[in-house]
Amino acid sequence: MKLDLANPAWRTTLPQTRSVASDAPVSACAFSRDGATVAFALGDGRVRVLSAEVKDAATPAAEPLHKGAVLSLIADPLGDGFVSGGDDGRVLRIAADGSASEMANQKGKWIDRLAAHRSNGTIAAGAGKMALVIDKAGEAREFGPHQSTVTGIDFSKDGSRIACSHYDGITIWSIGQVILPPRRFGWRGSHVALKWSPDGKFIATATQENGIHAWRIAQASDMRMEGYPAKVKSLSWSADARWLYTSAQPVFTAWPFAGKGPEGRPPLQFGDEGAGLFTVVAAHPTAEYVAGGYDSGELQIGDVKARRSAVLRMSDGSPIGALAWSADGTRLAAGNDNGDMVLIDLRR
Amino acid sequence: MAQAQVPVTVLTGYLGAGKTTLLNRILSEQHGKKYAVIVNEFGELGVDNDLVVNADEEVFEMNNGCICCTVRGDLIRIIEGLMKRKEKFDGILVETTGLADPGPVAQTFFTDDDVKARTRLDAIVTVVDAKHFLGQLEQGDEAEEQVAFADVILLNKTDLVSAEDLAKVEAKIKSINPYARLHRTQKSRIELDAILDKGAFDLKRILEFEPDFLEHGHDHDHGDDVASLSVTSDRPVDPDKFQKWMGALLQLRGADILRSKGILQIDGAPKRYVYQGVHMMMDADWGTPWKDGEKRSSKLVFIGRNLDAENLKRGFEDCLK
Repeated sequence: MKLDLANPAWRTTLPQTRSVASDAPVSACAFSRDGATVAFALGDGRVRVLSAEVKDAATPAAEPLHKGAVLSLIADPLGDGFVSGGDDGRVLRIAADGSASEMANQKGKWIDRLAAHRSNGTIAAGAGKMALVIDKAGEAREFGPHQSTVTGIDFSKDGSRIACSHYDGITIWSIGQVILPPRRFGWRGSHVALKWSPDGKFIATATQENGIHAWRIAQASDMRMEGYPAKVKSLSWSADARWLYTSAQPVFTAWPFAGKGPEGRPPLQFGDEGAGLFTVVAAHPTAEYVAGGYDSGELQIGDVKARRSAVLRMSDGSPIGALAWSADGTRLAAGNDNGDMVLIDLRR
Repeated sequence: MAQAQVPVTVLTGYLGAGKTTLLNRILSEQHGKKYAVIVNEFGELGVDNDLVVNADEEVFEMNNGCICCTVRGDLIRIIEGLMKRKEKFDGILVETTGLADPGPVAQTFFTDDDVKARTRLDAIVTVVDAKHFLGQLEQGDEAEEQVAFADVILLNKTDLVSAEDLAKVEAKIKSINPYARLHRTQKSRIELDAILDKGAFDLKRILEFEPDFLEHGHDHDHGDDVASLSVTSDRPVDPDKFQKWMGALLQLRGADILRSKGILQIDGAPKRYVYQGVHMMMDADWGTPWKDGEKRSSKLVFIGRNLDAENLKRGFEDCLK
């Protein structure tokens, strides 16, 4: 996949887009593993599964799957469907045809954080102060309790461990056959999101105090980056683990994690300033690109090598709350608070 | 799309005061309104309702070294989640446990930008058990602090005490916090209109309806007990000096100063300057304009412990023109 953002076509015409309206905010979106369908998690309990081809017409909405809002959604690592979590405390496995089966039910808790490991098929969810891990065979185990509600969860590169963020730091659990004691890394305050780098070396969190924190796992050393104008809610590692992208800036912001790491170095900021601040960023699954959605509704794509960006969608006033790439990196899905479900095909 | 801020009512009160009774009524009565209720004990409410959200009262200290800068992180997360629902709410009620300090809940609404953008703290409503309140004061600071933080007080179970005892309890409440609106109730029965969406926390809004709001109180000073204290002046205030003084004062004494409010006459400004704080967090904004010929004056009110009247008075006078 090669995108030439220097090509004037990116300035004069927007890429092919399909937008489908719903009447509830979009909280998350994801493409299925095979790239055939794209799903949007909605605030009315529905998960809308649509064709991932821009030209295909939208299929009608099905009945709500969750009571209350759907809060999280990921591609099913074991099939071509999805896994969703809701504020009804349920984790559902959704097939490509939209039919659902219950994987877990934790009434009274909100399932707002989900992660999956691609190759071993394990799913992890935050469920109150506990981390819920469901393996390929459907067997569920719980890890915790943590000091406070789990606010971020992610897998290590090899899938043998999970990391959870909570008040005053993060905890790493070994979830394989070998049971090791949990490792805790402290940093005071409330951590609100967590992402483990694809090379396994770093874990980054976003903090309540408008900053980010990162730990180098092998040396147990840590670093902080501050001075954002708003709370960072979205973190995304580039596929090669060289860059950590963050939201809460008007331009693409990438912290350099290659070589010596980001200590004492400013972040790389590039591209054209968009309308407002980024609410969500998503690194391309294989190449040097990054997509970002703004609180104004604008969408941009950036190229970290060329240090350029292009607009994919104009602002319409409704904040982008969800953003995801297809596994092959040719299409992008986004959702906003107005309930617009957007699919963009980047192939020109 | 600009959304109206959803009013949030914080419901406090000692164990057994009648909070659950009130919540059950709000959830079961036909009032045509939709309230989300954030509770601590899921099982206590008789109503099984998907508008009821369980919370764990997770308090964290802001990473700025101040122990009174404590915030409810769970509330930030829950409000963010509620805003993702399709249904829009007429209000959100947050119940705190009987022994909770209302400070962190109130401070959450000063701290988080998303919470501030989407909701506003409407009132801290404290339910007081008329029969047991005086006894509860002996058992710790909680009952006293809950009254000190209140914008609205339901003096409940008035049928269980004599008129004489009721007068005693009411006098004690007024000595702690003379500025809260007080309603006498039995079995937590009250028109919901009297307590919800009244803007009782927002001094600016109160003043639009009751310009002499802060004049109602009479100060009491009882040493170690929580009490209120006010300072007034007819001379205009220098805003820069005031900001500096108040900032430093709350930094230093924020743990003891539970609530502070003020209406200021700023030199040369046509409008009132309205200010309010919870512990060391504060907010200020322009209020209603002074009327022609109206007597302009400034008044500051503090509710807290170990308030040094002389010191506060001198500090305020240094801010005057």
